[in-house]
Amino acid sequence: MTVLLQSLISGILIGGVYALIGIGLTIIFGVMRVINFAHGDILMVGMYMTYILFTSLGIDPFVSIVITIPLMFLFGAFLQKLFINRMQGALPQNQILLTIGLGLIMSNTMMLIFTSDYKILSTSYSSESFNVAGISISSPLAISFLITAAITLLLYWFLLKTDTGQAIRATAQDREAAQLMGINVRWMSILAFGIGSALAGTAGALISPTYYIFPQIGGIFTLKAFVITVLGGMGSIVGATLGGVIIGVAESVSAVYISSGWKDVVVFVLFLLVLLFKPAGLMGKSRM
Amino acid sequence: MKPTFALIRTSAGTSPVAIALGVAILAGLFLFPNFVQSPYALHIMILFFLSTIQGEAWNIIGGYTGQYSVGHAAYFGAGAYTTMILMQYKQIPPWYGMLAGIGVALVVSLIIGSICFRLRGPYFVLASIAVAEIMRLSAMNLKDITNGAEGILITEIPVFKIGETIVTDFLSKVPFYYIGLVIALITILVTWMVQNSKLGYYFQAIREDQDAAHSLGISLPIYKNIALALSAIFTSLSGSFYAVYIGFIDPPTVLALDISVQIVLICIIGGIGTIWGPVIGAMVLVPLSEALRSNLIAQMIFKTGLTSEESGIGTFLKENLAHAHALIYGILVVVVILFMPDGILGWVKKLTAKKGRG
Amino acid sequence: MATILEIKHVSKFFGGLAANSDVSFSLDEGMIMGLIGPNGAGKTTLFNCITGYYPPSRGEVIFKEQKISGLEPDRVCRLGMVRTWQKVRPLAKLSVIDNVMVGALCRTNSLKTARELAMEQLKVVRMDNKPNFLAGGLPIGERKKLEVARALATQPQLLLLDEVMGGLNPAESDEIIQLILEIKKSGGITQMVIEHDMKAIMRISDRIVVINSGEKLAEGTPQEIVNNPEVIRAYLGDFHA
Repeated sequence: MTVLLQSLISGILIGGVYALIGIGLTIIFGVMRVINFAHGDILMVGMYMTYILFTSLGIDPFVSIVITIPLMFLFGAFLQKLFINRMQGALPQNQILLTIGLGLIMSNTMMLIFTSDYKILSTSYSSESFNVAGISISSPLAISFLITAAITLLLYWFLLKTDTGQAIRATAQDREAAQLMGINVRWMSILAFGIGSALAGTAGALISPTYYIFPQIGGIFTLKAFVITVLGGMGSIVGATLGGVIIGVAESVSAVYISSGWKDVVVFVLFLLVLLFKPAGLMGKSRM
Repeated sequence: MKPTFALIRTSAGTSPVAIALGVAILAGLFLFPNFVQSPYALHIMILFFLSTIQGEAWNIIGGYTGQYSVGHAAYFGAGAYTTMILMQYKQIPPWYGMLAGIGVALVVSLIIGSICFRLRGPYFVLASIAVAEIMRLSAMNLKDITNGAEGILITEIPVFKIGETIVTDFLSKVPFYYIGLVIALITILVTWMVQNSKLGYYFQAIREDQDAAHSLGISLPIYKNIALALSAIFTSLSGSFYAVYIGFIDPPTVLALDISVQIVLICIIGGIGTIWGPVIGAMVLVPLSEALRSNLIAQMIFKTGLTSEESGIGTFLKENLAHAHALIYGILVVVVILFMPDGILGWVKKLTAKKGRG
Repeated sequence: MATILEIKHVSKFFGGLAANSDVSFSLDEGMIMGLIGPNGAGKTTLFNCITGYYPPSRGEVIFKEQKISGLEPDRVCRLGMVRTWQKVRPLAKLSVIDNVMVGALCRTNSLKTARELAMEQLKVVRMDNKPNFLAGGLPIGERKKLEVARALATQPQLLLLDEVMGGLNPAESDEIIQLILEIKKSGGITQMVIEHDMKAIMRISDRIVVINSGEKLAEGTPQEIVNNPEVIRAYLGDFHA
């Protein structure tokens, strides 16, 4: 029982970070209808950014997100303006290939600068944990979960309560109608890509104390991001939040009860099942 | 928009000059090892054949049929693993292993097809990736069969004999050169045959508009699965060939997403849905990425005197450029997608067409 | 005359909405049936149900005394029923002749035979002068004709034309009308035509079915339809809404 509870809780904690990754991807997809295959690589850039800030300036990874978030936002906005924007309305396959190419450039540039060696960002609390009712909880995971929850709430508020947030949602719902209503759709796309990248970058910052940092780590997270967003329903923010937590829990529970080697297989099988039997995801409306 | 004559069938007007050129190139390719003994040159040519096979194979399902599989590592890995497992643990010569690999790849393609072809567009792409990832993770975990993350290293390739005559002994690169060349030629030939048959018409109809194709009597699942099976056969062959040639495989080198992406890029960069596109793609990509891998580019930069080998930037380039050879794939695909969506071949055709019109 | 197509109590629901409800009528061999109705009345949905794109939620479709509802569109086509699309669907990167050949390959495996059959159909629609043009680059009028040629190349006994005159100028529409009448005269092909142009539909149809809000409102000869008070009300209501 304790084992189950233990794995449930750590699953939920990591699920929070997954939710950030998924929300980022889903916002980009919702507004631009582009599936961003560079999403994990953007996360990887966020990891390295955190690593540099930590090793050269000694800034704590959890504090450094105040720098990472705006920088990653600008990075994403720049990618959108310079590359993705040119592909609006192109074949989805070509959009996918473009983002794959951008991802390759990011990961290989990092390899050029940092080599492909694994870097470890170890803080004083990296391996610390505390006990609640006999269940041990990793401190960095707990902190990152709290930050994730705060960011997610802030994002919900922004999307639901502010004019810009509503404009983004309107664009996601119906691009043409939004344009007719006088919403600057191009600007919303830049904003969406910026926010999506900032979220991925933040997720990267938050996991950097607990994960190895290396240039090719992005691929794993790109795939996870797909699973999360498809599970929740492409374009649905609530769905991505839920999907993130579900995947986090599925991973940690199957790691305990099946084996850690097979946990990702469980995730992908889940993914295929959802694609086949509920292609609209748990929260989304079918667009197929 | 003015209608154009861009799609006049090329085979109808093959000129004697083109035929002569083709024969000369073919002869040159077959005689190449007689004149060039450099193992490095042979190595580059072998990689070129390998990429050509991969590109042509993907072209059938991606280029002609329009189903962008980004999970072709599944078939590449199926061929590579089947051949290696049979050879290393059962002493079965790779020739039979290749055939067994094709069998396994066909089974995999049928499973993947029955799952993924129900989905369209981006969802198909995602599903194809997921299946390949499941195969990679399975190869990591099924240690008893695949030796897991440690991979399989060949200690000795069994000599291939018919009766008592030794056909190949695999002691040099030359047999690999000819095997690669022949498989590449067969792949190109099969693509040509497909293009000039009912299959080719049906594949392209599906690519252009699935619903229209469906209404014209084309069974989508049947023809998509045929295309995928053909593609899987040759991708598996390339996997078997790669495994025996390199002599070592592990999940990251034959089953990873990177492999799937590279296979797609060969085709995209050259030009999809054309016979010569993948050949051009391989011709561009292989030397470029090899030049980076072997530090040729760094050496060239030193020669131009921009920076010296001893300087800080110099050592940096020398040490790191080799690792980042995939950078060229990234840059090329971005440039191609943004500026030449029909690939290098399509771009050249457009240029010559413009010149022709004056 | 023998019945070629029978639509029996066909209904199609999307979620809770009925796009078609309890539609029944039948077509005799060789006739031209007009299918009219206001926008969103469910005409195209009915075509989709007949040709296999959606299985009907209720009811059945009988083609040549065989139940075909539930069959896939490719099977339906092989049985001898083919449709064109309201929003044309040319195989854009293929040439005109290749487009028609794809249709012809439904009945043959030989490219040579398919090319000959395709050329014949291009003559029928008077496009045999440009077989090597790219289909994607054709003007709308020729794309519509190409679609008819491609459908004819599958050698159908029943041809379903979905607004084949939509978006055409009067001269082009007239050409299509002539084409439809020629197909009828050549014999062997029954046609069902969805059309908005009332004048055209009155001119070509032997019988007309009117669909409104998914239901069959009326059926009869063109003369009966123009004099039907319910039809007039539905159309006037529609225009004044």
